Amino acid sequence: MSSPEQVAVCAIAVSKVVSTIEGDLSILDAVSLEINAGESVAIVGESGSGKTTLLGILAGLDIPSSGQVWFEGNDITAMNEEQRAQVRAASVGFVFQSFQLLDSLNALENVMLPGELRGDGAVRKEATAILKRVGLGNRITHYPRQLSGGEQQRVALARAFASKPSVLFADEPTGNLDTRTGEDIIDLLFEMNREFNTTLILVTHDKKLADRCDRSLVLSAGSLVFESRDVEPGSGGSINSVEQTGL
Amino acid sequence: MKPTLLLSLLWRDWRSGELSLLLSALVVAVTTVVTISLFVDRLQSALIAESSTVLGADRLISGSVPIPGSFTRAASDYGLLQSNTISFSSMVFAGNLNQLVAVKAVQKNYPLRGSIHTSQQAFGPVNIQTSGPERGEVWMDSRLFPALAIRPGDSVAVGEAEFVAQRAIIQEPGRGTSFMDLAPRLLMHIDDIDKTRVVQPGSRISYTVLLRGSEENLQKLHTQLSAELNTRFRWRSVRDSAPSIRSSLDRAENFLLLGGLLSVLLAGVAVALSARRYAFRHFDHVAILKTLGATPGQIQKGFIALLVVLGTIATVLGLLGGGLLHFVMLFALQSYLPGDLPAPGFGPFVLGVVTGFICLFSFALPPLFDLKEISPMRVIRRDLDVSQRSKILSYGCATVGSLTLLVWYSGSLKLTLYTLVGFASVMIVFGGLSLLLLRTSHVVGTRASSFVRLALANLQRHYKGTVVQILTFSIAIMMLLILILLRTALIEEWRSQVPENAPDHFVMNISTHDVTAVQQLLEKNTYYKGQLFPMTRGRVVRVNDISATQWENLSAGDGAGVPPLRGERNLSWTHELPLNNQVVAGQWWANDEPKHYVSVEESYALAAGLSLGDRLQVDIGGIFVSAVIRNIRKVNWESMQPNFFILFSPSTVTEISATYMTSFHLGKRGKQFLNELLNQYPTVSVLEIDRVIEQIQSIISRVSQAIELILVLVLASGSMVLIASIQAGSDERLREHALLRALGGSKGLIRGALLVEFMVLGFSAGFIATVGAELSVAVLQSQVFRLDSQLHPWIWLIGPLMGLITVTMVGMFGTRHLVATPPITVLRNL
Repeated sequence: MSSPEQVAVCAIAVSKVVSTIEGDLSILDAVSLEINAGESVAIVGESGSGKTTLLGILAGLDIPSSGQVWFEGNDITAMNEEQRAQVRAASVGFVFQSFQLLDSLNALENVMLPGELRGDGAVRKEATAILKRVGLGNRITHYPRQLSGGEQQRVALARAFASKPSVLFADEPTGNLDTRTGEDIIDLLFEMNREFNTTLILVTHDKKLADRCDRSLVLSAGSLVFESRDVEPGSGGSINSVEQTGL
Repeated sequence: MKPTLLLSLLWRDWRSGELSLLLSALVVAVTTVVTISLFVDRLQSALIAESSTVLGADRLISGSVPIPGSFTRAASDYGLLQSNTISFSSMVFAGNLNQLVAVKAVQKNYPLRGSIHTSQQAFGPVNIQTSGPERGEVWMDSRLFPALAIRPGDSVAVGEAEFVAQRAIIQEPGRGTSFMDLAPRLLMHIDDIDKTRVVQPGSRISYTVLLRGSEENLQKLHTQLSAELNTRFRWRSVRDSAPSIRSSLDRAENFLLLGGLLSVLLAGVAVALSARRYAFRHFDHVAILKTLGATPGQIQKGFIALLVVLGTIATVLGLLGGGLLHFVMLFALQSYLPGDLPAPGFGPFVLGVVTGFICLFSFALPPLFDLKEISPMRVIRRDLDVSQRSKILSYGCATVGSLTLLVWYSGSLKLTLYTLVGFASVMIVFGGLSLLLLRTSHVVGTRASSFVRLALANLQRHYKGTVVQILTFSIAIMMLLILILLRTALIEEWRSQVPENAPDHFVMNISTHDVTAVQQLLEKNTYYKGQLFPMTRGRVVRVNDISATQWENLSAGDGAGVPPLRGERNLSWTHELPLNNQVVAGQWWANDEPKHYVSVEESYALAAGLSLGDRLQVDIGGIFVSAVIRNIRKVNWESMQPNFFILFSPSTVTEISATYMTSFHLGKRGKQFLNELLNQYPTVSVLEIDRVIEQIQSIISRVSQAIELILVLVLASGSMVLIASIQAGSDERLREHALLRALGGSKGLIRGALLVEFMVLGFSAGFIATVGAELSVAVLQSQVFRLDSQLHPWIWLIGPLMGLITVTMVGMFGTRHLVATPPITVLRNL
């Protein structure tokens, strides 16, 4: 294992326990992993296996109950929310299943938003260019409600890459789209990922999508059971070139 | 966050309608406060100006020695208008007839406020004079003309000087309704005093300077002179001089204050509700912003800045709205208000600005604080809510804000505490009761039809929200009910002061052998009830074997507005405690009480330092009567009935001969009867109080109008709360009903369910509001307004019904889009 400072994202024995009426519920149990810069990694597993929680923790959206997460050499679990937000602003991009565009902003304004939050100047020009890049050059003044699901996800992709993140997190990016549109979006996602040389960490149920990543991590009941370069999501894991991870 | 980004967010929120409710609630808050305080400010000034006409000035300084030059110079320094008067008793002669008169010598500019009502003939039609008599002429009470057998224009003599009795006085400022100044009035020019030669060293003379000017300058003068005033001079305002008007004004002020206070609270609730909804609708937005790198600090600063911008816009709109609305109110009330209303001060506008921002920061900011606590994980897991700590901060801020606002706005900790304690107790007790009602409705619901079951199930499923909504509705309804009840009580109380056919004239000095004949004449010509009171004049000379002068120096208490112990006054005696009198210490005497007892009025006893068991010696025309204070009475001076500071047990005054007094209602029957009465019985005196009654009635009617207007404004704030509360719950209703419709529920079912839901909410809120209002009004009536408390059976029907109708109407109107929006549109946005 490399030292945490050298990899893009590194989780060390990350656990997440939440309190419920019935008592404590363990969502993640001592998950450890490393993701190198420029890698594309799919996190797969059955519903409720803790994929999304892990993604949130790796991205600094949430903090683990125990364990550490290192992001580009910094222990983000030791940071407060203010500092984690600055890390996100500087280095992280997101694409969500439900797009998560602001309804009251049009496509261009949505794409400009991360730059405006950082206080960058001249964000309009870059935002317009990247919207053209995703094929929405003629829809920049349209509001999310005026766009189709595929178009909304293109805006979300444009927004994610507009800030030139070093790591892009994607949560089921095709989950709300039909197969054809989903494929188009995934093509675009991987093209842009290459162009911007971004580390990609995505959560998915989609086998095809997982196959396009450099490797896959399989979660089951909150534990990382194995990782593979050619994995059958939900198959239980009789997979070739399996590497046990910390279990 | 950059200002441009902030402004564009604000603009985008406004464009999407997100801010309209919050902005409207803030605008309504500021508008209501500005309108009420502007209106109250101007109405109070108008009422004070109106009431000052009763006094003839804004303030008086009076004393038994000439008013020092230092006083008048100080008054001039403050730019106050002044007018001097000198009052004394003297005889007026016409031929071989004469009468004792109360002379008031005045300057030409008398009175400084109001006017003197005179007539060209005794008891004749009124002619309004705004200045006093010229040199060489006197104006006299109507009753002096028949008593002296003269007509206006004839000559009379006062001391060594001859005058023309030019006019009959019908009503003059400064003439109270008490029976202390019974001698008829004679007005003359102050420069004529010397030639009468009646004012000699040692004469009992009262010197007065009338003052007119701004309230601020009058108060400054009062503060400057207060040390010197306490010893030898009295400072009087209309409040000290006319008890009926004083208490009407005090109660009206308290009521308007309460109205303003309640509307501020209501506006605060509306602001809090709409801010909470605004915040709630921004949870997702903030979570997205956070994933994009917005820090909690940026979020907090951004929303504070947004509130400041919003508050500024709302305040400007509210100030404009308030200013305009108060002009509309003044216009609507034009015929009831005096023509020259004083210009409004800056106070109400400052009050509006500060109220707007306090409302904003204590009611609207805390829910927005929640936003910085939102976890960015909400973009993935939407069930994440704000922390409990943040909610406690919200409620804490709202409570502190309300308290600050209420104490500052009302200027009365007492009124605030009563309101808040009533509020809190009702909320706690009835929060529990609402839960109970919800459970009961569920039991009933299981056997009810489908839409009723759906409605009741909805209410029970969201039982926390339902209780909050019921309590919010009940607060709004309770405040309206409190105001309606108090308004009714106040107006009834005022009207009962001057009941129909209440005596408006008093006849005094009826000798024993004329009593029957006078009574017969009154029965024939007036509305007469036949009540007789013996009466004589006397002065207290000793208290417990100490001379009254010494006693006054030793033990005088707080005597503002109360006559001094030694002054000559009317005395009476009776077996029975008179009506409108109440023994507050000691006991009333038995019918055949042989001991010599005396009863004194409460404020008089307090001012003179008298207590039970003290022995008073009274000089009644050279006969000295001694009696022990048996009891102390509280007297309703507003009752327009004969009232006495000193009453004896009848056995004490067996040697005293007395004349009698009685009262009658003349109404519109015509003043000529007074001429007839005085011609037949020249020794009797008539005191006319009909003009005073008219004046009081006019003030009461204006105050009642003001109160009704305040009610309308509070109603507007209350409706705002209802709308905000319904809107706060409409997102969730929208989602649920869209789902129901998608699953096959008809529009009729949804409408029916909504109808039942609002009816249950409204009825419950109305019921709780009724209980709360009844309790609060009982406390407010007894503790603040000094009125008798009583139950109001009708409110128990009206309250729940009002709740049911208003909540159902506002609710159905506010949720009409729920039924109209296609379910697919709603579900797409889920």
